[in-house]
Amino acid sequence: MSIFREHKTTADRSASDRSRHKKKIEKAIRDGITDVVADESIIGHDGKKKIKIPVRGIKEWQFIFGDNEGHKQVGSAPGQDVQKGQVVKKGQQQQGQGNKAGNDKGEEMYEVEISLEELAEYLFDSLQLPDLDRKKFKKLLQSKPKKHGTRTNGIRPRLDKKKTAIQRLKRLAASRKTGTVEIDPETGEEVFPYHDNDLRYYYIKDKPKEATDAVIFFMMDVSGSMSTNIKYIARSFYFLLYQFLKHKYEHIEIVFLAHTTEAEEVDEDRFFKRVAAGGTHISSAPKLAMDIIEKRYHPSSWNIYAFHCTDGDNWEEDNVAAFDAMRQLAGYCQLLCYTEIAIESDRPKWQSDKTSKLWDNLSKIEGGNLKLALLGNVQDIWPTFRRLFGGLPDV
Amino acid sequence: MSDWSFEDLQSWDSRITSIAKSHGLDWYEIAYETIDYHEMIGAMAYHGMPSHFPHWSYGKSFERTHNMYNMGLEGLPYELIINSDPSIAYLMKENPLYLQVLIMAHCVGHSDFFKNNRTFKDTDAINVSRRFRSARQRIQGYIEDPTIGIDKVEDLIDSCHAIQYQIDRRGRMRKSEKDLRLDYIGRIKNDKDGKYKNFNIDKLPLEPEFDVMLFITENCKKLENWERDIINIVHEESLYFMPQIRTKIMNEGWASFWHYRICHELELPDNLHIPFMKSHNQVLRPWGGRINPYHLGFEIFKRIEETKGIEECFFAREIHNDESFIMEHLKEDQARELNMFTYSPKGRKNPDWSVDDVVDEEGWPEIRAALIKSIGGNGIPIIYVEDVVKDTLILKHEHDGRDLELNYAENCVKHITKMWKGPVKLFTQLEGEHFEIS
Repeated sequence: MSIFREHKTTADRSASDRSRHKKKIEKAIRDGITDVVADESIIGHDGKKKIKIPVRGIKEWQFIFGDNEGHKQVGSAPGQDVQKGQVVKKGQQQQGQGNKAGNDKGEEMYEVEISLEELAEYLFDSLQLPDLDRKKFKKLLQSKPKKHGTRTNGIRPRLDKKKTAIQRLKRLAASRKTGTVEIDPETGEEVFPYHDNDLRYYYIKDKPKEATDAVIFFMMDVSGSMSTNIKYIARSFYFLLYQFLKHKYEHIEIVFLAHTTEAEEVDEDRFFKRVAAGGTHISSAPKLAMDIIEKRYHPSSWNIYAFHCTDGDNWEEDNVAAFDAMRQLAGYCQLLCYTEIAIESDRPKWQSDKTSKLWDNLSKIEGGNLKLALLGNVQDIWPTFRRLFGGLPDV
Repeated sequence: MSDWSFEDLQSWDSRITSIAKSHGLDWYEIAYETIDYHEMIGAMAYHGMPSHFPHWSYGKSFERTHNMYNMGLEGLPYELIINSDPSIAYLMKENPLYLQVLIMAHCVGHSDFFKNNRTFKDTDAINVSRRFRSARQRIQGYIEDPTIGIDKVEDLIDSCHAIQYQIDRRGRMRKSEKDLRLDYIGRIKNDKDGKYKNFNIDKLPLEPEFDVMLFITENCKKLENWERDIINIVHEESLYFMPQIRTKIMNEGWASFWHYRICHELELPDNLHIPFMKSHNQVLRPWGGRINPYHLGFEIFKRIEETKGIEECFFAREIHNDESFIMEHLKEDQARELNMFTYSPKGRKNPDWSVDDVVDEEGWPEIRAALIKSIGGNGIPIIYVEDVVKDTLILKHEHDGRDLELNYAENCVKHITKMWKGPVKLFTQLEGEHFEIS
């Protein structure tokens, strides 16, 4: 005789192992997103486009054999016709390009299809807005109509069909008890039409809602020294910033300021594509930004964010002016980030310092609303972004 | 919900056990635990162990099994029994009675195999639960230790898992490095023909060491105590599971052979017999492109009984492992009936796979060789410690015509490097050329 017993159930045993596995997957999704963010094809699209993010399954490495001719598999198929040379498995045709990771042996890929908006949500939910001066967050009260229970009076379009039907059923049940339901003499069925008292209407109430408006100043050095690679990194960075802020504020306006020695307000296309010869006065951009703020975006009613990308190659004579202008602009902003993009391979050999003089000066007053960032390649974007917005450090 | 009660299970069990005894089966007492679907998947994630240390990979395993059942990719009767004394086996509450009867008969076969097969003789079945519990408690302690913590523990277990099967799977007696040294000193002293003239007695290891994990715990001086303990825990678990890897075909074949026989002798009523046969056929169907261990093992035991009698079956279940079992008992005529064949990819990038050999005079030895290479743990590459040169751990892959998957090998070497806390080199071959990973 064997023993029989009920399994002793303790708490859900694998719950904590599952949650740690999930954390690893989420990290993989985020890591995958940084690749995606740098993918040119999605930058500049509106939120509706669906994109696929390949996410690698969390691997458990072991020594295994690869697929090669010396590695014969054995099968057994009684009753079936198997001939020497017969193809039993067709090589998979390569589909499109990309997706290269999926071809590795044993690669478990999760392909997550999400819209840009969802992506932004996924990316940013774990982050928090910088712990800046929260009082400055504009609380513009807007009213928004919302459904708020039902009423017996109302207009036709607001008829709540479900509740109305329920009311009729209640009345029918009651009538059956009292035997007052009319029976159709021909069909023998109950006749029980809707009554005015059954009708229920949505009640619409205006609900005050905190709405927030924000304006983002994207400033970029478009002087001759800015290579395509640098602009590409800037563009990826701006894309991410835009998606993030869009996620946080209901209404966002963007101002693009391109500058050489002079700054100018341009549209998005020109901002990224424009090639300009000439020198660099970084101070021109924050100065223009402040002009525009004064005219169009009063700091008491707008959340202001400003980002500046450059290769750091500012003209010596402008360094003091640029420093002052940046410091001043930071006073208006929730966040001003001065970003230098330095691609290792692009860097002239004689330029040994990693950062410019302006950077060094600004770094002395970094903190609060003013932050500095240094990008060397697209992989730096996400960590930098996390740092800027006070996300938790990557595990 | 279910069509059975505890009393039903007990009465069927008493009939099953008396039939099994009459045939001379000799098993550990079985403790059946009834369990629901969710708990079952949970138990499966931890290989059925009532107590097991935590690691994220078991969470992954849970999710994967759960997904597979949900998508209907897997529909086998839940059967899970562990090699312990008493043997703990799980019966899923959602299963109908006929399936419980099948599973109970099947479990008797497994437990008999655990108790009698030679491969299992060192698994210390009576203490298994206690050992796993103690391991869990120790690891839990390291997790809670503020100077260690879960991340370090999990990272180390990740590394251990990368080489968990790099142990001496043939189960040979292993001499400690100290004994081996004494052995060699003796040989050098009595060396008459100058064979050991230039022998370096300080070489480490003196002979190739197939147990990479053990070598690291014994010879890596930088390991902290908790690290050594965790490596030993995983190592012990590997030793415990290796016999099951080495006897998968026999073990499942034997259990299926007996559930089939016992259920026939139970003379099940039609309402149980018909679904029973359906499930039996489902479990034992050939898989075509892969070997179904239930099917192959069952067919071989059946053939042994037909040709040599049941005594020979009992003898085989005692002395063999999958490799020797196939060598001894799978003959060309049966392979032809099973329509066995080999196939391989032709080329490197997205190749077609085509059939190389079918069972005929030329093909059979090829098929047999390929089969032997893929069973009984032989599907796991053999890596051994060759030498330690100035802190660098020199590993070699015993190349047998099959190349390693490079990406996996590289990542494993990274893990070994972490464990060894020093440089590691692995020598192998790739497409016929020598290849070094470090």
